[in-house]
Amino acid sequence: MAAPRSGGASRADNGYGSQQPARRRKGPGALATAYLVIYNVVMTAGWLVIAVGLVRSYLTKGSYHSLYYAIEKPLKFFQTGALLEILHCAFGIVPSSVVLTAFQVMSRVFLTWAVTHSVKEVQNEDSVLLFVVAWTITEIIRYSFYTFSLLNHLPYLIKWARYTLFIVLYPMGVSGELLTIYAALPFVRQAGLYSISLPNKYNFSFDYYTFLILVMISYIPIFPQLYFHMLHQRRKILSHNEEHKKSE
Amino acid sequence: FVLYQVEILDWKTKQQLCFLDKVNDNIVEMAGDSIYCLADPHWYPARQSIRLDPKGKSLRDEEILQHLPVGTTATLYFKDLGPQIGWTMVFLTEYAGPLFIYFLFYFRMPFVYGLNDKLTSSPHPVVNLACICHSFHYIKRLIETIFVHRFSHGTMPLRNIIKNCFYYWGFAAWLAYYINHPLYTPPSYGQNQINFAVIMFLICEAGNFSIHITLSDLRRHGSKIRKIPYPTKNPFTWLFFFVSCPNYTYEVGAWISFTIMTQCVPVGLFTLLCFIQMTVWAKDKHYTYVREFKDYPSIRMAIIPFLL
Repeated sequence: MAAPRSGGASRADNGYGSQQPARRRKGPGALATAYLVIYNVVMTAGWLVIAVGLVRSYLTKGSYHSLYYAIEKPLKFFQTGALLEILHCAFGIVPSSVVLTAFQVMSRVFLTWAVTHSVKEVQNEDSVLLFVVAWTITEIIRYSFYTFSLLNHLPYLIKWARYTLFIVLYPMGVSGELLTIYAALPFVRQAGLYSISLPNKYNFSFDYYTFLILVMISYIPIFPQLYFHMLHQRRKILSHNEEHKKSE
Repeated sequence: FVLYQVEILDWKTKQQLCFLDKVNDNIVEMAGDSIYCLADPHWYPARQSIRLDPKGKSLRDEEILQHLPVGTTATLYFKDLGPQIGWTMVFLTEYAGPLFIYFLFYFRMPFVYGLNDKLTSSPHPVVNLACICHSFHYIKRLIETIFVHRFSHGTMPLRNIIKNCFYYWGFAAWLAYYINHPLYTPPSYGQNQINFAVIMFLICEAGNFSIHITLSDLRRHGSKIRKIPYPTKNPFTWLFFFVSCPNYTYEVGAWISFTIMTQCVPVGLFTLLCFIQMTVWAKDKHYTYVREFKDYPSIRMAIIPFLL
């Protein structure tokens, strides 16, 4: 079918060129980068404080039970501080999706305040330690990863840690979270916590107990998706690094 | 006259899907979505996206080869947009759902409020009024979809309609549940509150309808030329002096009035979400107008006069 091509423009791109839409994503400027470095350093330090607090408390008490009280305040402060990350995405200084970041941060904040803080009876549970440890290690690595990335000097160890330790830490954290919510259920039912029933003049009802059960169920579709996404990322990023090293 | 050769490649794999030799520009007014060389009827035109650049915008139906920046050998890229559904079907499904779902709760089907309250009716007149208003709203929308609206794009991806139906039908069920509940509490300010709400509701519904008629008249006889909408002799259309999308303004107004009428938090929440969604649509439309027309009235805002 190879008909002779007549003279004139017959380029594969039709002379149109690959006209991409004007790139609107700016990326952080110098000021934003400085701010982000400070933010990430502060967060790394904060979670290190929590880590140290846990270790000291363990050594003092001699057991790993009820360590929550030792780090309650810095945990609340630094985990809540992560809400700023939603704004970072909204203002475009960080290239992540606002919705995804909001979802992740809100779920952490929810567990910190609406479950662990609100239901005092679960604060003694070992499941709390389980997710606090998982969060602490994850966040220290994550924030130092961002810090080094922003300074364009990322040690391979940190990159490796970020994309490998999650394999254990993520299920660990999820287990801790689920067990804590489960432990909180009877106390929520008993106290009617955060619940409102009919009749009332706002014609609204909300059952926190049922809500918590729905939250637990939502882990079933969400967790595997995120986990496999991270595994996929790992394969992509760590093998890419291997190729780079080989070609040097 | 010129004879063209056209090859069509898959946008991702760049594999050649079809090659047309000796294409006469008059005979094949292609581009857009009329390429029938993809003989499989699976690829109906609405789901075909033909573009000059693999990641570029789709070519419109009306474009012809001669006016495109192609040489005598044109390379076009094909992307499958997935199963499509026509806008009319979309709207009919999205609106018929809430209409009938509300009735399930209004008539208190046995599975909704338990067997003790099955098929009973509420002692509060406002509950009957709310049902009339809610139904009126959706029946009006169905009528408009069939007789009034003129759609510029033919279709929408099928996946969206599942998502949309969950949202609209789900919310309808949620708010209907509370309004028709045996333990429903009528508004705090009594008949005054209800009367005010009804009047506001009627004004907004009339306003919304007037705007839809006005917009429809802009595109009489299938004309595809876009024009600036202007206020007419109908006072409801005078909102056009102040906003680009008064239909959305009136729509939000109707839902606010329904919230006041029922004094029900789920209705309020739905109103809030509607407001957010419509503001996004209105802003989009507004900026499209501003970009397209140099003489666009500068006093107009998108959805709320002087504010938003």
